[in-house]
Amino acid sequence: MKSWFRRVNTIIRTMELTALLILAYFAWLAVALRKRQRTVQGPWLFLLRAFFPNWQFFHGLGPAPRLWVRAQDRQSQWSNWHPVYPRLPRRAWHLLHNPTVNLALSHQNLVEHLATDAHDLAENADIRDCVSYQLVTRLARDAVEGACWADTPLVHQPDGTRPVAFQFEVRLLRLGQPGEAQLLLSPVMALRP
Amino acid sequence: MSLDLPLAIRAFEVLLGWSLLLQSAEYLRVQRFDRVGDWRIQRAEVPSAWVRHWLDFTYKPTLYSSLLWLRGALALALMLGHAGLGSAVVLFVMALLILLRWRGAFNGGSDFMTLVGLTGLLLAHVLGLFTDSAKAWHIALWYVTVHSLSSYFVSGWVKLMRPEWRSGHALTVFLDNGVYGPLSAHSIYRWPRVAKLCSWSFILWEGLFPLALLDVRLAALFCAIATVFHFLVFWFFGLNRFFWAWLSTFPAILYCASV
Repeated sequence: MKSWFRRVNTIIRTMELTALLILAYFAWLAVALRKRQRTVQGPWLFLLRAFFPNWQFFHGLGPAPRLWVRAQDRQSQWSNWHPVYPRLPRRAWHLLHNPTVNLALSHQNLVEHLATDAHDLAENADIRDCVSYQLVTRLARDAVEGACWADTPLVHQPDGTRPVAFQFEVRLLRLGQPGEAQLLLSPVMALRP
Repeated sequence: MSLDLPLAIRAFEVLLGWSLLLQSAEYLRVQRFDRVGDWRIQRAEVPSAWVRHWLDFTYKPTLYSSLLWLRGALALALMLGHAGLGSAVVLFVMALLILLRWRGAFNGGSDFMTLVGLTGLLLAHVLGLFTDSAKAWHIALWYVTVHSLSSYFVSGWVKLMRPEWRSGHALTVFLDNGVYGPLSAHSIYRWPRVAKLCSWSFILWEGLFPLALLDVRLAALFCAIATVFHFLVFWFFGLNRFFWAWLSTFPAILYCASV
């Protein structure tokens, strides 16, 4: 027993224990990642999720939500559906200052949050009560009104007519594969005069 | 070759400060032209009434701008080596406020890694009250290192488990969908063999990153590759904040590989 304690003492002093702990930690991480992970949800957990990063970036080709908008003119004619997806010109100095792209990416994140909310919506709940829905509505409205991410319009091929109403849709793409599915279709909403 | 503690601390502070400074400038600019984010809508997500009321006050445009300016000034102080416990606490609280303002994250992973850096800074100063400063910084740098290494390891490991990454197909698809995309029709990343080679290079390099702790020269090599990797992530996906947030953790990794 005495020698065992001496051994543990030696390990601690020589930092072997640290090495073992690190090894055990990464082994546990590898095993944990292979198991199906439970999703813990809650409003505070959502807002403070930065404290629990999962570090799984670009991990797989799952369904990718995309926002589409269309506008109605005074003659009640609808435009074609247009995608609202960030595509901006690259500049080397963006490495130091890139607010436009980061904002555009945060808008796309909003669309992804809306898709998650729509997917997880309780039976009698109304998606219009979700914050993500209300914010995406603002994004869609901005898009049909011709707003830009810096110099790049949210909608690349506007139809040119002044719209009086709009509608948006969230579609799910399977990245790298043809086809898409409608996840959510908004009601027709009037634009501010 | 080794990185001693004083130099590691200084490098960590300079890089973290720089990252915070760039972020603060971006937040100030974004505040001017964002027409989508609206606190009056977002506040409904905050479950506690008194927190909501307190945040209503904090996010008044003038006060919020002042906070961002103060954050920039503290980031500069951190770079110059003049940030103590008070600055660390204020920077940490501000990070929380900014995260809440952006529904938990503005730029995903970079916000998370920035918070790791700020938690490390806070740990160093708080623990410094109870033990000697060197030991406190030692623990703080290990905290940052474990998170940074975990980020690479997890990222590599989850790719290894996905057939679309092992075949290289996912790489082409993600690059095609990047903010600066799509890839040109003749891009070499459309060649299946190149895509597969790149994918496996990233998977192996990320998955083996914890080995950096074995030797500081190995750590330097892993960090050098990581710098190129994060630059490519910026180049294709526009994620400039990721570049600086992860770079700020490298002094911690190099220090921990030195001890």
